[in-house]
Amino acid sequence: MGHVSRATAFVAEADRTTWHDQVLWFVRAKRDAAADSVPEWESLRDEAAGVKRDALSRLPALWREFETRATEAGAVVHWARDAAEHNRIVGQLLEHHGAQRVVKSKSMLTEECGLNPHLETKGIEVVDTDLGERIVQLRNEPPSHIIMPAIHLKRGEIGELFHAEMEAPEGLEDPDALTAIAREDLRARFLAADAGITGVNFAVAESGSFVVVTNEGNADLGTALPRLHIACVGLEKIVPRAQDLAPFLRLLARSATGQPISTYTSHFRGPRAAENDDGPTPEQHIVIVDNGRSRLLAEPAFREALACIRCGACLNTCPVYRRSGGHSYGTTVPGPIGSVLAPSRDPARHAELPHACSLCGSCSDICPVKVPLHHQLLTWRSHLAEGGHHARRRRLAFGLAARVLGDRALYGFATRAGRAIARRLPSRWLDALGGAWSRSRAMPPIPAKSFRDQLRVREEATPEERQP
Amino acid sequence: MNDANDAILGARDAAASTARDAILGALEAAAPPAPDAIPRVGAGEMPADPTGVLRERLDQNGGTLVEADGADWLACLGDAFDVGSFTNVYCAQGDMVAGSDLGSRGVGATALDVHALAPLDLCVLRAQFAVVENGAAWHVPASPLERAAALLAQHLIVLVDASALVPTLHDAYAGIDLGGTGFGWFLCGPSKTADIEQALVLGAHGPCSMRLVLTSS
Repeated sequence: MGHVSRATAFVAEADRTTWHDQVLWFVRAKRDAAADSVPEWESLRDEAAGVKRDALSRLPALWREFETRATEAGAVVHWARDAAEHNRIVGQLLEHHGAQRVVKSKSMLTEECGLNPHLETKGIEVVDTDLGERIVQLRNEPPSHIIMPAIHLKRGEIGELFHAEMEAPEGLEDPDALTAIAREDLRARFLAADAGITGVNFAVAESGSFVVVTNEGNADLGTALPRLHIACVGLEKIVPRAQDLAPFLRLLARSATGQPISTYTSHFRGPRAAENDDGPTPEQHIVIVDNGRSRLLAEPAFREALACIRCGACLNTCPVYRRSGGHSYGTTVPGPIGSVLAPSRDPARHAELPHACSLCGSCSDICPVKVPLHHQLLTWRSHLAEGGHHARRRRLAFGLAARVLGDRALYGFATRAGRAIARRLPSRWLDALGGAWSRSRAMPPIPAKSFRDQLRVREEATPEERQP
Repeated sequence: MNDANDAILGARDAAASTARDAILGALEAAAPPAPDAIPRVGAGEMPADPTGVLRERLDQNGGTLVEADGADWLACLGDAFDVGSFTNVYCAQGDMVAGSDLGSRGVGATALDVHALAPLDLCVLRAQFAVVENGAAWHVPASPLERAAALLAQHLIVLVDASALVPTLHDAYAGIDLGGTGFGWFLCGPSKTADIEQALVLGAHGPCSMRLVLTSS
């Protein structure tokens, strides 16, 4: 099942599609206001893009430095080549600590690796603590947006879910009341947790620190209470120095939600001190994960996608994402950046995604770290075509188009014949040829003469005759 | 490191170093050329009305700026926020107002374990400085209890000296020594979420209200 068929399910409900489109455009508008309030915005983008490209050119040295500094600070560093190795390391750490109840803050990396299902097979309870993530976890579905995981749902649906799962009164739809119920439920889980798992927004090589950003404070509660903290970090997340954090943190929240900064921007370096001598010594484990990132780094056409800071701005601005919903992509990360990342993982499976794009270029314009997203999507189309990954229908259609468009005589014949036939067809047959485009539109009438013929007549006419 | 960890690390040593070497090797092989010099954004400029900008940014994040008149910041919180009514208060040392009865009390005074802080009503912290461009205050918790208190309390008050303002995050990081900081954070506003239909709700998991108080001595 490809993007088009999955999107069909989403757009079947016109009201929801319109609402989804508008609410994301609202977030995009807030981003614009925030960006406009910073006169040096473009310089920040240049600095952030420069820092990332510099970091990507010397990742081995930076990660070695990070490992040394983090180890000095008392953390334990682990390396995972792929999702399975990552899951095994986290699972073994939890098992060796006898951790049964785990609270996890939002981490696209652990989503990508399928950590939750792995831990559940070991009988470990993992609770996603970001409210949106908790909602989709209880619904057994993946997040539909990287920073607003439940943006595809209406408040009534969340009320029903909380009624079934958290004893909320039936019919409750007020966001304040629903959040209060989730807060109480999750507070108890934070207090009972044996371990906290977080993602990482930025790792800092020179100090062995890492930064985790949230609005809810869930990553903070999940690491301030239990004495075991496991942080999972992708290879692309490192910057050389503390000062390099400045441009990113000035861009991140403004690009994501239009906030000047997130509520909590927490800098961790080594495990926390114990507040007393009871219980185990606090530990901090950092799992550095490749899972396809070094392969992407080796691709000159696509490596810049590793600069992505997961702000979600390209999703919010994308006309296709806004109208087709995050689940239509069938990937952990949806939207333009997801469509760039996914084919490098599995070209055959995700060959349709670079086509879920009008090449409008808004994603590249809005990207705080200047990933040339729409150029990469266009490049993917030719890579996937050359690799034979496109569907048979698309291959045939484009093969035919290339043939006709490449031969002037054939093109002239095809358009003449096409017009002659089309003008004799009933309009509903024509509309069928328009596919999804003409589902809610009529095809325009087919003119008797081609543009070239009309132009020739016009050029031969006298100025008076040219008057319309 | 405890024995369990020694065991797991010992057992995994061979596999772990293999993974490490394989990853670093793949990164070496794939490394793109270094880019040209990075264009740096320098120090920021303090706006004409720093307090006004700070107030606006904090407000955008759901927090409230309070300008204290002299050393008695308590008197400036307003009648609607009655700190005297709270049973459980954590107050960072030295930030009690002389002559007032505000200080750590209830679990804020007695808790020896972070979990025992759970029913906390109010937490009072002192930040090192605040950032004008985004309303964030830089705080380094004095202890694991203080860090947990800032999250478990219903209400949060962050004190910062009115003279300790920097224009931007660029200026902020110029003054932060991450290598010498076990844990530090920028705090801006109360805990919040917009995960239900993008409706802003204050009080997601942590404090439901946050006041940044500019104090002067």
